[in-house]
Amino acid sequence: MKKRDFSTKKSLIILEKIRENLEKLNQKIEVMIELQKHGKPSNEPLADATAPLDVMTLLSMPDHLRKTAITVCRLGRATAEEVAQQTKRARAVESGYLNQLVLMGYLKKERQGRKAYFYVDKDDNNKE
Amino acid sequence: MGKIIAIHSYKGGTGKTLFSVNLAMTFALKGKKVCLLDMDFRAPSLHAILKAKSEKYWLNDYLNGTCSIEKALIDLTKLSGGKGKLLVGLANPSTEAIRDMSAKDRKWEMRALGRLLAMRNSVLGEMGMDYLIFDTSPGLQYSSINAIVSADIVLVISTIDASDVQGTKRMLTELYDLFEKKTYMILNKVLIDYTTKKGKEELSEKLGNSHSLPIFEIVPCFCDILKAGGTRIIAKEFPQHFFSKTLNRMAEKIEHM
Repeated sequence: MKKRDFSTKKSLIILEKIRENLEKLNQKIEVMIELQKHGKPSNEPLADATAPLDVMTLLSMPDHLRKTAITVCRLGRATAEEVAQQTKRARAVESGYLNQLVLMGYLKKERQGRKAYFYVDKDDNNKE
Repeated sequence: MGKIIAIHSYKGGTGKTLFSVNLAMTFALKGKKVCLLDMDFRAPSLHAILKAKSEKYWLNDYLNGTCSIEKALIDLTKLSGGKGKLLVGLANPSTEAIRDMSAKDRKWEMRALGRLLAMRNSVLGEMGMDYLIFDTSPGLQYSSINAIVSADIVLVISTIDASDVQGTKRMLTELYDLFEKKTYMILNKVLIDYTTKKGKEELSEKLGNSHSLPIFEIVPCFCDILKAGGTRIIAKEFPQHFFSKTLNRMAEKIEHM
């Protein structure tokens, strides 16, 4: 009985790892798709990693990215799921846009356990 | 949760501050809690109209991150005769402060946007204000666009001057629409003849394709308002004035939005 419990637990751990890896792969594929659809070719250099997300930058962005970027500005720090709830678009779509904004240098991404949080790096340590 | 209103225009001198102060007063006289902010850091004016001065902190300090929003606000409820609540955030009118605000970089403007967005929680949430009104500077300035992005409703004021109307039309499609803002246009300083039914039709023709314009109110030009020279709050001092009645109607429409 104990042996069976042990093997169930072990297979659950393996399944969880597979799920996590699949999620990471899925996010990478979404970014690649988005970059092909709207972004620059992958061999072109992306924006400076510290590009400020100010209103003039927001104005010059394509509509689909502006909506995502403003939502992150409003929420402060959010997961793709939370952004998707506000924009009423699919989580996977928002995940793609958010990762694209990270690649463009406008957002920062931080992992906490299984969740990925996106935020605007305000660099508040260097106040004027 | 209350509402955030940005009062904006394409050109200067259209009446933004006149509408901001009087709309804030109209809400306060109705018993509402209002917070009015002077977002025109290049040409501050609320301090002159309200005859007020900040003791220590200005709105500039809040946006610089050197004080909390509570410290940058002054209580002017006495102006509404104790009705409702009227908190005001003044822009520092000193030449040094204007110079300082004009030289901010993009990173500072990004942080300022964050601080304006945070006011939804602090001013409307924690402080329980019903309305937060931004009196902005004209045109496409950083401080104005920051205020527009943070607002729920944009009231754009235009005269019937051709360049003003054209610029306003452009802002409707190239600014407010891009940020998906509920925008309403107020035609100000219109000749009294245009406020009649026939006059409105004539005005509509003059503006060209006016059916696509989200016209909220048409406000005539009043000599007594001009004579007051920005020293009197019409909504408080002359509640029966046509202008005060127009503001009451506007306040009711906004309340039900």
